[in-house]
Amino acid sequence: MEVVLLFAMVIGMMLIGVPIAISLGLSSTLFLLVYSDSSLASVAGTLFEAFEGHFTLLAIPFFILASTFMSTGGVAQRIIRFSIACVGHFQGGLAIAGVFACMMFAALSGSSPATVVAIGSIVIAAMTQAGYTKEFAAGVICNAGTLGILIPPSIVMVVYAASVDVSVGRMFLAGIIPGLLAGLMLMVTIYVIARFKNMPKGEWAGWREVGSSFREAFWGLFLIVIIMVGIYGYPWYSSELGLYKEKAIFTPTEAAAVASVYAFLVATFVYRDMGPLAANGERPRRNVLQAPLALLSVWVHEDTKRALFDAGKLTVTLMFVIANALILKHVLTDEQIPQSIANAMLSAGFGPVVFLIVVNVILLIGGQFMEPSGLLVIVAPLVFPIAIELGIDPIHLGIIMVVNMEIGMITPPVGLNLFVTSGVAGMPMMAVVRAALPFLAVLFVFLIMVTYIPWLSTMIPNALMGPEVIIK
Amino acid sequence: ACDTGEIVVKFAHVTNTDKHPKGIAASLLEQRVNDEMNGTMCLEVYPNSTLYNDNKVLEAMLQGDVQLAAPSLSKFEKFTKQFRLFDLPFMFKNIEAVDAFQGSADGQDMLDSMQRRGLQGLAFWHNGMKQMSANKPLIAPTDANGLKFRVQSSDVLVAQMEAIGGSPQKMAFSEVYGALQQGVVDGQENTWSNIYGKKFFEVQDGVTETNHGIIDYLVVTNVDWLESLDAPVREQFLTILGEVTESRNKEAFAVNEAAKAAIVSAGGTIRQLDATQRQQWVDTMMPVWDTFSGDVGQDKIDAAQAINAGL
Amino acid sequence: MSGAGSGPSGIINSIEENVIAGLLGLMTLITFANVIARFAFNSNILWALELTVFLFAWLVLLGASYAVKTHAHLGVDAILNMLPPAPRRMMALASVGCCLAFSLLLLKGAYDYWAVFADLPPTSGRWFPTGFDLKARSQSFYEVQDVPMVAGLRWLEGLINYGDAYEKLPKVVPYLVLPISMLLLLLRFVQAARQIWRGELDRMVASHEVEDELEAMRAQHNEERD
Ligand code: NA
Ligand code: NA
Repeated sequence: MEVVLLFAMVIGMMLIGVPIAISLGLSSTLFLLVYSDSSLASVAGTLFEAFEGHFTLLAIPFFILASTFMSTGGVAQRIIRFSIACVGHFQGGLAIAGVFACMMFAALSGSSPATVVAIGSIVIAAMTQAGYTKEFAAGVICNAGTLGILIPPSIVMVVYAASVDVSVGRMFLAGIIPGLLAGLMLMVTIYVIARFKNMPKGEWAGWREVGSSFREAFWGLFLIVIIMVGIYGYPWYSSELGLYKEKAIFTPTEAAAVASVYAFLVATFVYRDMGPLAANGERPRRNVLQAPLALLSVWVHEDTKRALFDAGKLTVTLMFVIANALILKHVLTDEQIPQSIANAMLSAGFGPVVFLIVVNVILLIGGQFMEPSGLLVIVAPLVFPIAIELGIDPIHLGIIMVVNMEIGMITPPVGLNLFVTSGVAGMPMMAVVRAALPFLAVLFVFLIMVTYIPWLSTMIPNALMGPEVIIK
Repeated sequence: ACDTGEIVVKFAHVTNTDKHPKGIAASLLEQRVNDEMNGTMCLEVYPNSTLYNDNKVLEAMLQGDVQLAAPSLSKFEKFTKQFRLFDLPFMFKNIEAVDAFQGSADGQDMLDSMQRRGLQGLAFWHNGMKQMSANKPLIAPTDANGLKFRVQSSDVLVAQMEAIGGSPQKMAFSEVYGALQQGVVDGQENTWSNIYGKKFFEVQDGVTETNHGIIDYLVVTNVDWLESLDAPVREQFLTILGEVTESRNKEAFAVNEAAKAAIVSAGGTIRQLDATQRQQWVDTMMPVWDTFSGDVGQDKIDAAQAINAGL
Repeated sequence: MSGAGSGPSGIINSIEENVIAGLLGLMTLITFANVIARFAFNSNILWALELTVFLFAWLVLLGASYAVKTHAHLGVDAILNMLPPAPRRMMALASVGCCLAFSLLLLKGAYDYWAVFADLPPTSGRWFPTGFDLKARSQSFYEVQDVPMVAGLRWLEGLINYGDAYEKLPKVVPYLVLPISMLLLLLRFVQAARQIWRGELDRMVASHEVEDELEAMRAQHNEERD
């Protein structure tokens, strides 16, 4: 009963406009002071423990930083050119290319809004020029952008892994098939709509353009290879050993830091769209030989600082929510809420099917009000113990949650992708909501598939890392 | 849930409740306290680090947010460096020697050694002897040369890995399985039950039965909380804890043997050392003692060695 | 950066922005250096992980007050947008009241938490400080796991550790961010309350933040085109 009061307090505060982080933190603090023995000191300790006790969360600032360098470094433009060269000649080709570009950028970036901004700010304008309606363009990008958290790397997966203590590397692998499938489903849907509505198709620019655009995009796309090879190793052949697997180099957290350093180097020294070598006023883009001092000045260059600051600010707002959500998680654990819910559900005779429906409904409703990571931190520890009791694979559960978060991002009133798309496309938010609707239906079908076909999520991680160790 | 009027005792630990030696002991304690002290005391176990991990739990205990915990012995070196004794390689011949030392006057002294810092040790709980595993066979200590070993945060364990020419690596525990499997690190050291429970054997070439160290736990409480209990309540609680400790510590050896057998039947490789090979490991690791004998106290080392000799 | 403005507020802005950028940059470099140490030199910086986590905590906790100032905290403004100005102002006042309550409670909690590690008495009282709890046990001996003690902080040994040497950094150092950040948060909420009272601000949460960033991005793109 007291718990209902707790959640009512959280939601009530959010609705009157208290920042989400403070709503979570203040409600939990008041609850602890009234109903438990915990002191204010221990609440403050929990705030620090959010970082000290969850090393995996460290990947978040690094993936945000990598994404920032990639967005400001003109990687998106090059990916889009490559993408148009590949699929632009189909009917509805530019829209399909937009989805394809979102998928590639998603494999570099851990966040959905970042994917929408990077790809959407270029593709939506290009689509309207090519004769598509703005609504169609916005709807496509708004949906395809959600792949940012499903195709690895993914900040939301990191948050899930940290809050229920499963391996981040495993979660990333689990996102590959669902991510490709969702992208494919969106592309096929677009193609069908395009045939019906006779939408424009581009010119096939030839293999030469595919090759040259790929060479341009190569340095950006190579980051995907660095992340995957770095975390999982690669197959190799030697005369002594035959075919064998070469060792991995770093953990997923470290991969994120390496990705940011790589993205920084590519943006400033290869593409030279930012930093001391970038074109500046009259001065054209220079190379390192022309300006060797850049090797020193780049570290304190205004663009470097700007990117660090922007990524830092985003980290702060996201992580402050998560830290406060962890206070709420502490309350729930302290009061043994997950256990009582689990017992109630089990004694009511719920099976895995009903349970997964309940999880989907909770997350879909929660996703209407809350930003994904904060919601995940609260819901995951609640449903995780029950899922384990029911024999549901923790990795499968994680992917279900991620797909729910994707849907939450494109449904009002709180949907980060909706906000961002309305900004990028210059459209009112409700118009974006309507535009996104047909493709939202595709994501719903996809959610049902992911929920009831576990091997979509578990096949690759189980094949590469063995079945998940389940510790009750 | 606890009834009103009962003294609520929160016991936070980091393992499962039914397979790990510590988890089993905690569950047994919970069951016995709640049966025999019903109406007076109510024990709630929070397993799997759901409430606190081992690094935070002692802080929380000093704050009064949790009453019982059983972190591994190396966590107590922050309170008194004497506890480094248990991390020193080849200090104890086998788990019987550990048991005998902990039951001796020297061992019992250590229970009280942190009182001025606010902690009261109540009982030692066994896990077992540590074994070494890597992605290549480890027979001679030189086999460990250049390998990257995941270690717990402890200066002694870092020094031990450096002594055999390994490169000690620190990483979050949740990353260890993946890191071993993908080859980010090459090896690790642990007890049979942990190697089995975390499935480390699956992602290693094999485990070498070195018995070079121990992992044990200390059940602790807050001094002030213990003193606040009425004498009969305290007595009854400590008696139950003593009985649970005795019965479970006898089983710990069996739990580890069962885990060892399970590793073999699951297809894991276990390698034995003959006396000469084992002596090479001892000789290579021994210099670590000199570095830390000042922290531990030579008298404690001598007492432990006397017990080894007597067994 | 927006910190280019002059005067004391411009300087404070620029300090805050540099701290945020600097902490994140440092975290990245330390983690990257650790990967290089392992891959190239088969070594490991044993304290790298722990130090990075501390910097992370400092980044987010110190940054939280900056986010209040720049109205960057995430929130729901769907209802606020539907309301006429008068009730919207009432709700803004109520929500800033919640924020003030949070930061006041947490400031007490943060000081109490940190004080025992600093050999200082925590405050007594459950909700409000009612005095000092002089019987609380000092925990100034308590060290972190891996980060070694630095020579520049040896004076702490005499000041709070009764002359005993520290091998590792004492916990009083990383935890210092708790009282500092909660104090800054309180100050920023007081400022926000004043702005709302005067009618200069109508909400506590980011609403146009995304648009602002896009605005900045468009400006940047235009610069590039020019
Ligand atoms: Na991604
Ligand atoms: Na939503």
